[in-house]
Amino acid sequence: MGTVMALFFVVVVAPLVGLVLNGADRVVTARLQGRVGPPLLQPLYDLVKLWRKEPLVVNRVQIGYVYLHLAFMVMTLVLLALGGDMVLALFAHAFSALSLVIGASSVRSPFSRIGAQRKIMQMLAYEPVFILLVVGIYLRTGSFMASAVGRLDAPLIVSLPLVFLAYLVALEIKLEKSPFDVATSHHAHQELVKGVTLEYAGPYLALIEVAHFYETFLLLGIVAAFFVRQIWLGVGVALVVYAGAIVVDNVCARLRTTWMVRCLWTVPVMLAVCNIIWLYVRRTQGG
Amino acid sequence: MAWSVHELLGRSPWFVHYNCNSCNGCDIELLACLTPLYDVERFGMLHVGNPKHADILVVTGSVNHRNARVLQNVYAQLPTPHVVVGLGVCTSSGGVFAGSYNVLGGVDKVIPVDVFVPGCPPRPEAMMDGFLRAVEILKRKSAGLPSAPAEKEVITVAPPSGPHAEESDAA
Amino acid sequence: MEALIGSQGLTKMTRNELAVAVLVVLPLVGGALAWLAPWRWLRSAVVWLTAGLSAAAGVYAVTLLPFSVTLGSWHEVVAVVCELMLVGLVAYFAWDERGWLIVGLCAVQVGVLIFEWLEGAGQIPVIKDAVFCLDGLAGALVVIINVIGGLILVYATGYMKVHSCHGGGRGAREGRFFLVLTGFLGLMNGLVLANHLGWLSVFWEGTTLCSFLLIRHEGTPEARGNARRALLINVFGGVVMSLAGVVAQRGGAESLEGVLGSRLTVVFVLLCIAALAKSAQFPLQSWLLGAMVAPTPVSALLHSATMVKAGAYLVLRLAPAFEGSAVMDVIALIGGFSFAVAAALAVSQSNAKRVLAYSTISNLGLIVACAGIGTPLAYAAALMIVCFHAASKGLLFLCVGAIEQEIGSRDIEDMGSLLHTMPLTAGVTIAGMLTMLVPPFGMLMSKLMAIEAAIEAPLVVLLVIAGSALTVFFWAKWIGRVQTVSYHARYRLERMPRSMMGVLVVLCAMVLGGGLGSLAIYRQVIEPMALGAFPHAAEKAVAALRAAGQLHSWPILVFPLLAVIAWLVTVWRFNPGYVRLPYLAGENRDETELSYKFTSVKDEPVVAWATSLYFRRTLNEERITPWANLLAWLLVLSLLGVLGGR
Ligand code: SF4
Repeated sequence: MGTVMALFFVVVVAPLVGLVLNGADRVVTARLQGRVGPPLLQPLYDLVKLWRKEPLVVNRVQIGYVYLHLAFMVMTLVLLALGGDMVLALFAHAFSALSLVIGASSVRSPFSRIGAQRKIMQMLAYEPVFILLVVGIYLRTGSFMASAVGRLDAPLIVSLPLVFLAYLVALEIKLEKSPFDVATSHHAHQELVKGVTLEYAGPYLALIEVAHFYETFLLLGIVAAFFVRQIWLGVGVALVVYAGAIVVDNVCARLRTTWMVRCLWTVPVMLAVCNIIWLYVRRTQGG
Repeated sequence: MAWSVHELLGRSPWFVHYNCNSCNGCDIELLACLTPLYDVERFGMLHVGNPKHADILVVTGSVNHRNARVLQNVYAQLPTPHVVVGLGVCTSSGGVFAGSYNVLGGVDKVIPVDVFVPGCPPRPEAMMDGFLRAVEILKRKSAGLPSAPAEKEVITVAPPSGPHAEESDAA
Repeated sequence: MEALIGSQGLTKMTRNELAVAVLVVLPLVGGALAWLAPWRWLRSAVVWLTAGLSAAAGVYAVTLLPFSVTLGSWHEVVAVVCELMLVGLVAYFAWDERGWLIVGLCAVQVGVLIFEWLEGAGQIPVIKDAVFCLDGLAGALVVIINVIGGLILVYATGYMKVHSCHGGGRGAREGRFFLVLTGFLGLMNGLVLANHLGWLSVFWEGTTLCSFLLIRHEGTPEARGNARRALLINVFGGVVMSLAGVVAQRGGAESLEGVLGSRLTVVFVLLCIAALAKSAQFPLQSWLLGAMVAPTPVSALLHSATMVKAGAYLVLRLAPAFEGSAVMDVIALIGGFSFAVAAALAVSQSNAKRVLAYSTISNLGLIVACAGIGTPLAYAAALMIVCFHAASKGLLFLCVGAIEQEIGSRDIEDMGSLLHTMPLTAGVTIAGMLTMLVPPFGMLMSKLMAIEAAIEAPLVVLLVIAGSALTVFFWAKWIGRVQTVSYHARYRLERMPRSMMGVLVVLCAMVLGGGLGSLAIYRQVIEPMALGAFPHAAEKAVAALRAAGQLHSWPILVFPLLAVIAWLVTVWRFNPGYVRLPYLAGENRDETELSYKFTSVKDEPVVAWATSLYFRRTLNEERITPWANLLAWLLVLSLLGVLGGR
């Protein structure tokens, strides 16, 4: 019964939460810019509209990767919700982004292709942080199963504070926010026309949006998981983090891709590595 | 049609802007629509960068031999249902460029236009009014209802008066 | 004792001996017949027959598993004579190629062999073991060698037909080519079956010779030079292996089992160095890249699916006995280093065969690293890679061969319209690449296990993770390029010899089927083998092994499957009216189906183009390789240092 509830939650409720969060993002962004902004449920209207549009494509191959993108994203959430293997979830999450990359590079459009390459650069920048996060959790719990996090006596943030900081930076990339929204970007600011999502129209774009809702939920869910046991505190922190990400989005200019990678690999990744080394040392001394 | 899918469709009109041969006056006024003072995002409107994501094609400027083909290409890449809005007198007749050696005339010479917004340049309020009309047409198109072809605004220019009137008459 | 060996036992004994004999001798005989065959059709028929028979023999042998074959002491004489003959042959070819260093190495090897012979005659007490044995690990390799190898042979008959057409009639050389390629299967079978170090060394040398002859096949100066380098490095490995034989004899062992039993660390380290040469690990990787000048079936058979696996196999076979020693830590580091650096260099390559070569080095490195980690889970991961990599990589090489014959280039950037011009091959290629990196296929699951197994060794886990990430990168680039399709593509099946097409389809089906069932295979086959290799494993390690098999497997299968079904439905109900040109700011020119031209200044057509990322400046092959080699040499030296400090 618990499994069914968890599945229901991540498959049905998660995208709704993500949708509302994205709507809130647009309202907050507008307010920050001194505008009124769209209604809260604007992403829903967008979805319905996109669903009704003509599904234009350049070729048939690219369609498959939209489905894979969404499927892997949901799979990541399902795996984590079932308390499954975190490395597998990490791979699934990476492949979700990768499907988008492959799909975008299978059309002969330079915009789309350059967008795909920038997406790869983004992955190069943030994946180390995610991997270090998993390694850190393993060192803390002694298991690769996500369910082990729930059985901890003290929240993860206590032992992984630096990884948490690094994760916040990586989050900014994953949410496609400035200064790292180099591959594509949501809302009105255009980079590379639309980068990876350029050649997807109508329903396919809608599916990519849905995947983004899942992802928003997933990423903020991980923030909350740092505070597990005090789950309401976690949810509060996640919301604050999201608001912070929106603010950063609005006050930053976009970086070049190489700067992005350098920026991530210098401070955040090193912070995370320090944290991991510290955990290793404590483990070896502890036993 | 008080509340239906088509109604929702009208709540998220994304537009792509194509500058045909404009003097940039209309373009600048269009961008003013995005600013806090006018804020078209209130209506769910987004300014997207390519026709494949757009519902409304916003054209400024008159059409010439060189860009007529481009305009057709962009138009062909719009997914249905879609609406075309012409901003400024240039789009309806060629405006100040009409009769120039390379100008074909209004946008409707090349692609069907649903709404013309008069002015040189039109005020942002007028543009937004035009967008809202376009949204109504979008809803009708989505529901499969017939939509009336755009009427060109008839612009009557008052006869010149004042000290230069005779000069120009003489000329 | 006599009473115990009843008639039943005797027939069983002969059956085992027969199996070994058939596996080794049949391909050699088949190769000789193919060489003698006067007509191409007859040669092809002989090769097909040999391939079929040896595949059947391989599968049959595995049903007898486990068994061992003991022989009278005459076999040692035969082994030494064979070895001396092989060394002589190598020296002859080296002389022919003006490879004086190789000739010198051959002389050293003869010296070592004679020394060993004399010393052996001085009656050092040696424990007699089985000469050949077939256990689970060897069984897995026997199946790979004979089934996948057989398929590649069949492919080669078609490939060489087209190949010779391009290069003019060279019937005699083609006959020799099939002699070596077919005979190689027998030598390779012998190599994995051999337990006696002498025989191991014989087959080791034999495969080296095969590899040399096949690399040299084209006869161009480049081919000859690369062949010489391959021979040099592998003969060096062979000499080290002979040295290992001497040391083992002094330690009272003459077989791998003996080395395992008496834990002769020195022998182990020497064998590992020989293995590094064979498996083209850093710092001895350069020969494998040069070997890519050989015809593609050779690259598929020797240089990815089987021969290069021999080194990794050897390490894997010996590893369980040395679990937890400092030597193993260094081995794990060497493997992890090769894995990461080769993956990084693969990113910078646009030549498809070089990418595949680097990826092969990289995966072999991962096997070695897993062997070095030395837990049951790591062992299982290594086994998974051995199996799945052989199939997928062999398939990919065959695809590249077919593509090269069609488009005349092996540059990835030229593979843009493949789905249009050769849909079958391109589809198979994409499927092959997907099996290399996407869940639920076996390669990814094995990487996952490798990461989980390496977690206790921080440096190794770092290397494994970096390597995995880079691996994803270069495959993704390639997949994107191959499946770039024009709008309104019209698919027309390409023309190629039926043998090639058939093999591509069959192998692709095997790869996909095996990949989808990877978790089942893991639970049914690999897990017991890993447990068998580590009978005294700690409870925690066994628990980790079991946990890897108990992954939540249904989401891994269900979600990608749903996506694929959704895609098939969409494509099936696809309305061609939805196809539009890509967005090029409205300046598209709809001229041909394949080009994406746009109108530029003065109405000139310009082709829209964006190459993939290669990071040629950061990941410069020429600049990185010397440093990587230096580091790797240091690691190898530290291997010896660990030995000395013991
Ligand atoms: S209508 Fe007037 S402002 Fe607009 S483009 Fe034409 S000339 Fe410029």
